[in-house]
Amino acid sequence: MTATITTKPKKQENIFWRRFRRSTPGKLGASIVALFVLLALLAPVIKPYNPAGDIDYRYRLAPPSISAYWNQEAKEKYTEPVSGKIEYFKHPFGTDNLGRDIATRVLHGARISLQIGILATMLALLTGSLLGLLGGFFGGWLDTVLGYFSDVMLAFPGILLAIGIVSISNNPGLTTAMIAVSIVQIPIYLRLARSVVLGVREREFVQAAGALGASQGRMIFRHVLPNILSPLIVQGALSIATATIEAAALGFIGLGAQPPTPEWGTMLADSRQYYTSAPWTMIFPGLAILLTVLGFNLLGDGLRDVLDPRSTQ
Amino acid sequence: MFAYVIRRLLRTLLVLVGVSVVVFAFVRSIPGDPATALLGERATPEAAAKLNAQWGFDKPWFINYKDLSRPFDAQYPRYVNQLLHGDMGSGIKSQIPVADELKTRFPATIELALGAMVFALSIGLPAGILAALRRNSLWDNLATTISLVGVSMPVFWLGLLLSWFFAVVLGWLPPSSRLSTGLNIQPVTGMYLLDGLLRGRLDVAWDAFKHLILPSIALGTIPMAITARITRSSLLETLGQDYVRTARAKGLPARSVTLKHALRNALLPVVTVVGLQMGALLGGAVLTETIFSWPGLGLWLYDAISMRDYPVIQGGIVFAALIVSVVNLLVDLSYAYLDPRIHYS
Repeated sequence: MTATITTKPKKQENIFWRRFRRSTPGKLGASIVALFVLLALLAPVIKPYNPAGDIDYRYRLAPPSISAYWNQEAKEKYTEPVSGKIEYFKHPFGTDNLGRDIATRVLHGARISLQIGILATMLALLTGSLLGLLGGFFGGWLDTVLGYFSDVMLAFPGILLAIGIVSISNNPGLTTAMIAVSIVQIPIYLRLARSVVLGVREREFVQAAGALGASQGRMIFRHVLPNILSPLIVQGALSIATATIEAAALGFIGLGAQPPTPEWGTMLADSRQYYTSAPWTMIFPGLAILLTVLGFNLLGDGLRDVLDPRSTQ
Repeated sequence: MFAYVIRRLLRTLLVLVGVSVVVFAFVRSIPGDPATALLGERATPEAAAKLNAQWGFDKPWFINYKDLSRPFDAQYPRYVNQLLHGDMGSGIKSQIPVADELKTRFPATIELALGAMVFALSIGLPAGILAALRRNSLWDNLATTISLVGVSMPVFWLGLLLSWFFAVVLGWLPPSSRLSTGLNIQPVTGMYLLDGLLRGRLDVAWDAFKHLILPSIALGTIPMAITARITRSSLLETLGQDYVRTARAKGLPARSVTLKHALRNALLPVVTVVGLQMGALLGGAVLTETIFSWPGLGLWLYDAISMRDYPVIQGGIVFAALIVSVVNLLVDLSYAYLDPRIHYS
């Protein structure tokens, strides 16, 4: 009887993971993003959000309860009158003008911001790269028209264009803000995909596929598309960061999510009347935006290290 | 080269026409009309219609399809005709000619943008250079961290944070506007800091400077971070080039190698990126100006959009796009000057 090999050969570790684990920004970014995704998913479990019921007029504009550790005023505010116990975690980040817990709102804001950032980017990535792919592959008048179209869009400062799109819809809100942010990013993908396609189109393997009689659809989607994915993925991660900031900016000037939605930019807009005396209403939502954006930027850098080892940046 | 410049100019012009058409159609698609916005919700529809007709906003947009014998009796052709005669129309609410308002608003935004650029370059360039020269040192890590946090910074939050800390808590700097009440100055350039110096009013210049600091830092942080990043990576790349090694091997002093040979060549991408930041700066100005009540283009446009002030929105946005396009053009053309290897055919 011949001996059969029972132990499988040790599976070789995926090259992607091997490289990714060596990239410090990548790891750091992935951890931050994972943390926020986890918080967003678990938000209803950690602390259910109830915009109407959470209003607590006894604690309007109360300072963060964690500051009771060093702040006498906060200590008195959070001392339970009957038992005399200090409730350090009653409102860890303080409360806003209606007595709503800022920590809860920031937590639920993570859901909204991640949703907007990811959906807007996906929409822009799909539309933009499809158009860029077609323009780059076929060239001719289609390419000229698309190029002109993106030149015109890129001549606007991005946020102004987004403001314009929201203004037209006359329906400020999350969905509109998301679409506006997404449209603004389309030309970026269009140009990126186009420039990469121009390089790939002339390569031998695509020419060979054409010579073997592959249809144009097959050439585009089977041979060209997989080779332009890397730069698009890297740009995608970086775009989520931009989309998150732009959506928050729209919220901040009152054209994004509307109150009482706990969107971070909208919370910052609300805080403008109170932040001089109650800075915590402004500090924590902004910190959440900064961290999320930082996470996606780091992740993008890490992915670039992995997917495009030639780039030095 | 000349042919390239001409082609590039034509392209820019074409883009600007596109921008004006888009803005024109956009503005008119915003629900609501200027007359109702001005008269208020309780105005009778007849009164609003009469006012809109008086301003010509009842006419078709692009082609007068109602009466084809006069095809250009429509809003866009009339607007272009006006523009060609140097008239940008008047603000509906203020009744001030848009061109006049631009003359005071634009210098305010330019002053802010220049302040932001000065901040960005004076911190970003040295930080990037230092980081590249002392790679993997504490300085490098510090510069890299700052630039990473900087590019991720929401401008509007940074603005609030700065004005809270420096104006409210410390009370060192004013939280809003361009000059303290009571001070004013006959404009020369419209940039108060410069005007103060030019007219010898040092008190005004100092006051304008203090007002300028916080908004400039808020607006300049992202360009600062980007400049530091690009400078670092570009200089690192140049330092690895053969000619730098040759220069070192010749026995040139290290200082002259880094400054003369490496840095000058490393700055080309920096120029590009800094130039391209102009568009982002104008966009960021909308947010920064609303936070610091800075009476520039951004605040003006923001107010105009809520008032449906068609002439102002049109004039302001097309003007902003003009600036962005011209800067991009200049950046493109400056390549040939900065890098003699580049030839345009």
